[in-house]
Amino acid sequence: MNADCGHPAPATSLADAVFAELAHALVRLAETGEETVVDLRSLPFGPSDLEALSEKLGTGEVTSTLEVAGRSEVRETGWAGIWWVRHFGDGDEIAAEEVHVTRIPEILVSHPDDVAFAARRMADAVVTTGPQEPTAADEEDMSRG
Amino acid sequence: MADQKTLGERLAEHGVSRRAFVKYASWLGSLMALPPATSRAMAAELAKAKRQSVIWLSFQECTGCTESITRSKGPTLEDLIFDFISLDYHHTLQAASGEAIEAARHAAMAENKGKYVVVVDGSVPMKDGGIYSTTAGHSNYDTLMETVKDAFAVISVGTCACYGGIPKANPNPTGAVSIGDLVKDKPVINIPGCPPIPEAMTGTVAYILSFGKVPELDHLGRPKAFFGENIHDRCYRRPFYERGQFAHAFDDQGARDGWCLYELGCKGPVTYNACATMKWNGGVSFPIQSGHGCLGCSEPDFWDKGGFYVPLSGSIGPTAKLVGGAALAGAVAGVAAAAVARHRKSSLNKG
Repeated sequence: MNADCGHPAPATSLADAVFAELAHALVRLAETGEETVVDLRSLPFGPSDLEALSEKLGTGEVTSTLEVAGRSEVRETGWAGIWWVRHFGDGDEIAAEEVHVTRIPEILVSHPDDVAFAARRMADAVVTTGPQEPTAADEEDMSRG
Repeated sequence: MADQKTLGERLAEHGVSRRAFVKYASWLGSLMALPPATSRAMAAELAKAKRQSVIWLSFQECTGCTESITRSKGPTLEDLIFDFISLDYHHTLQAASGEAIEAARHAAMAENKGKYVVVVDGSVPMKDGGIYSTTAGHSNYDTLMETVKDAFAVISVGTCACYGGIPKANPNPTGAVSIGDLVKDKPVINIPGCPPIPEAMTGTVAYILSFGKVPELDHLGRPKAFFGENIHDRCYRRPFYERGQFAHAFDDQGARDGWCLYELGCKGPVTYNACATMKWNGGVSFPIQSGHGCLGCSEPDFWDKGGFYVPLSGSIGPTAKLVGGAALAGAVAGVAAAAVARHRKSSLNKG
């Protein structure tokens, strides 16, 4: 069952089943806006199955890396609306791996509370970086010409 | 201490966005097999929650449970939990001591009345007035009963707190009992193991914090999300067992070829824990993968079950006869052993 030993285990039909499930989920997203998440860690996938699913889904236009409590990767697949999300934990091990059927995965969107907090901080930053009284050192420089 | 800021506000002050909650909830939801919608709700609830006051009491124990929960290498996903809780009292980790820390415990109890969580590791000695383990001049029994009085819930971590553990092993010189034997008017959640898997401890706390309720428990008071499956059923060596390929000694060819360790005393068939799936040290390995049978450390009285290297079929008690026969028959042994074990633990608990 080791994918590195030269004789990887053949993929089971699980990748096909998940692919079909995602196709139905994508129809629901297109028609009603309903989102779906498939937790890949909860399925009895072998390495070959994951590779098979990844190959079927392909790669889209967006790949992003997040640094939030460790690393995360969000990749758009070749099918608009289907995203592959991987979260890494301690020791850069994969802690969670999911396929999201959504227009954009929630983790990429700035949370309204974070936006509000940033707006307050930025307003403060505008005030503190505005015109300031010259310091004694500045005046000394000026007098030297 | 009490803090009116939400967890979202606290993390934002440290430059961490609400994305951390989305990530944490995805991870925990996957571990606990929660539906994705529940994980999403968990992320939202966590961001809005206040820090959970936790009072950690250590009784007759070895501090291995604390070692387990603090075993993280860096600021990663797994130790976000330390931003989510306010650890108001913990013998090993607290900086203060003496009267100051006892005052801190009382202050945390008063400020978070009805809301704080008490974590206990270690069993409580009841013999001779409980003199075998005391702190600040009080017996463990008195400290426990005083502290849990206004708690929301009690989490027993480690097999000593859950079922008496090693201090209760024959001949139990201190009259050790479990926390569940003493606390009857609060929810008591058992997270057994020697030590427990860190994620089972932190996951349970995060669940309470997110949903304000106790997760679903099995007949031994353990969260089903972490203790719902038995080691044997999820063991990667199970196919060898099915084929009757057993190691007979730790240095024979079978052991070298990774065959089943049943005959070397593995207690996997009667042990419910997540070691075979979650593993240890960030998913590196677990005892069976390292070549040693399971000791059954998350089950009551694991120390007194006839020896770690005695096959289940040779162990004492009602398990022996039934499992012995089934083992010869082959595949059904795991199921039979587990059923017997479940029955046995139920009776033990009642007794």
